[in-house]
Amino acid sequence: MAADFRRGRLTPLGWAALVIGAALMLAPLTWAVLLSLKDNAALVGHSEAALHGPYTLDNYVAIFGNSLTTRWLLNSTIVALGQTAGVLILASLAGYGFARLDFPFRRTLFVIVLIGLAVPSQAVILPQHELFAWLHLHNSYPGLILPGLIAPFGVFFMTTYMRGIPRELDEAAMLDGASRWTTFWKVILPLTVPAQSTLAVFTFLGAWNDYWWPLISATRSDMYTLTVGLAAAQMNYAQTSGLGYLMAQAVFASIPIFIVYIIFQKQIVRAMAGTAV
Amino acid sequence: MASLELKGVRKSFGSTLILEDVSLTLDAREFVAFLGPSGSGKSTLLRIIAGLETADAGEVWLESFRIDPLPPGERGVAMVFQHYALYPHMSVRENMAFGLRNARVPKDEIERRIADAARVLEIEPLLDRKPGEMSGGQRQRVAIGRALVKEPKLFLLDEPLSNLDAALRLRTRVELAQLKQRVDAAVIMVTHDQAEAMTLADRIVVINDRTIQQVGPPMEIYNRPANVFVAQFVGSPAMTLVPAQLAENGDYATLKIGDGTVVETRVPRDRLPPSAHFRLGLRPEAVRVVGSGEATSKAKVELVERLGERTLVYARLGDGQPITAEDQRDSRLKIGDEIALRIDGAAAHVFDADGAGYHRTGA
Ligand SMILES: Nc1ncnc2c1ncn2[C@@H]1O[C@H](COP(=O)(O)OP(=O)(O)O)[C@@H](O)[C@H]1O
Ligand SMILES: [Mg+2]
Repeated sequence: MAADFRRGRLTPLGWAALVIGAALMLAPLTWAVLLSLKDNAALVGHSEAALHGPYTLDNYVAIFGNSLTTRWLLNSTIVALGQTAGVLILASLAGYGFARLDFPFRRTLFVIVLIGLAVPSQAVILPQHELFAWLHLHNSYPGLILPGLIAPFGVFFMTTYMRGIPRELDEAAMLDGASRWTTFWKVILPLTVPAQSTLAVFTFLGAWNDYWWPLISATRSDMYTLTVGLAAAQMNYAQTSGLGYLMAQAVFASIPIFIVYIIFQKQIVRAMAGTAV
Repeated sequence: MASLELKGVRKSFGSTLILEDVSLTLDAREFVAFLGPSGSGKSTLLRIIAGLETADAGEVWLESFRIDPLPPGERGVAMVFQHYALYPHMSVRENMAFGLRNARVPKDEIERRIADAARVLEIEPLLDRKPGEMSGGQRQRVAIGRALVKEPKLFLLDEPLSNLDAALRLRTRVELAQLKQRVDAAVIMVTHDQAEAMTLADRIVVINDRTIQQVGPPMEIYNRPANVFVAQFVGSPAMTLVPAQLAENGDYATLKIGDGTVVETRVPRDRLPPSAHFRLGLRPEAVRVVGSGEATSKAKVELVERLGERTLVYARLGDGQPITAEDQRDSRLKIGDEIALRIDGAAAHVFDADGAGYHRTGA
């Protein structure tokens, strides 16, 4: 079926499977959107009221009623963009180094990067917390952004991609009198754009959705990211009342991600299919 | 003034010696082909000249400057890579301009050179295309154009025709020959195809077994191969080598081969080393299928190869020695036929036990 799909042809059975799959994925999303458009009181006890009107935007208005929401949105944007830019720059430079330069302990260092892939962030969060406390970086943008720049996957990904670029191009550039930097900047880097966009999308999504580190690092509410802020503002752990408001928060928080998906659809599909590597 | 000079160049990869004591001098504006089997170190030598590899010993000089300590971009050489190595994200124009910008050539000068090269190579309509939007032949021309605009002192071409189909290869061969007339620079072309080397080069440098086997104009390489390797590598089909004994005394070497045939060569006898054992070298055109009257030997046909303009006959002499002969184009021979051959001693070569070649004087 996969082959048929690639050629844009599908058997009726294939169609049915895709439609059912898509419906299953869409159902909870639709449900969340419908709930978010309902008055909270109307949902108490019988959430199926979401299936019919009257609908209202009150819950969304209420989100902005919290004076800090826009601030959290800004924080999330700064952190996610900062991490994305940082990871792209570092992973590209490191990838070029691993792929093209000869330096002492290159193999050993690369193995360390690979080991880094296997270390879960939870395992290092305590010393990381201590370190940032010692550096007085908690409750700051550097404090929120820096841990995300430890990106062994990004380094591995860019190294692999750059290794796939023919060395003849570097050599042609050398004969064309290009310096190392010019070769990197004008020849190699432009050829990694597909990999860059894939890495950018995943880094951005990961940073935007991150909850644990900002929860630990940002203790002042004006430094919360959107995920932490919305969770803190909610205070309604049983989730028995205020269901509409809760769903409005969730929908609101995912709007930027939704936008990223729309813009980078092609790269995401390609990355998922593994053809970008 | 000499163009390129190589002095005692040596190179190994790890413990494998690839090139040993390679010395060579190119004349100004000379077109030289490095010819040798695959893996003989031709590309390595080219890359040493370009500065992409560092020689373990030896010097490289270009127009009286020692260039081997210089980085590739400052050597005054331009290279056309085997797989073209065009920058995929740049247009043809940008590909050609890249090296000139790095060399800080003024903008209008860059424009002028690109326009000139594009006209000569007939790639003007392609200037704004990217390499991915062109055929192999077009990419090839662009790769040549990128080298041309640099106005180098030396062009290096690594198997420039090997990625083209047969028809295009012939056409590009002609174009390379024309190009050679236009440029005021020496050209080195690496190839494993002897026909390419023979048609294009002023001189051929035959490389094998870590070193230069022979340097000379194409016809000299063909007519006076320095050794057995050159004799068999150049020429198609390969020269037949027949073990032979020196017979009789005289001014010229007379050799007797296994089936009893005596061949009177025109190789001066006093040039040969004092030994009785030699090999007789016979190109197909030196062995003709004849009527029994003029025959020197008898043979049995094993294979007939009709090439149109001539017919090659692969046969065995009475003692089982394989030999390649030529018959007229409308030959009626078939496998198994008994034939009469005439070995033309005047066109024969002699090789000694070490493989060194001896040839008739003159010619
Ligand atoms: N970078 C390298 N490392 C190790 N061995 C190499 C390298 N480049 C070439 N060689 C070896 O050197 C020999 C000559 O290669 P090359 O110059 O490419 O031959 P040619 O161009 O005549 O086919 C080959 O045996 C090849 O395997
Ligand atoms: Mg080669």
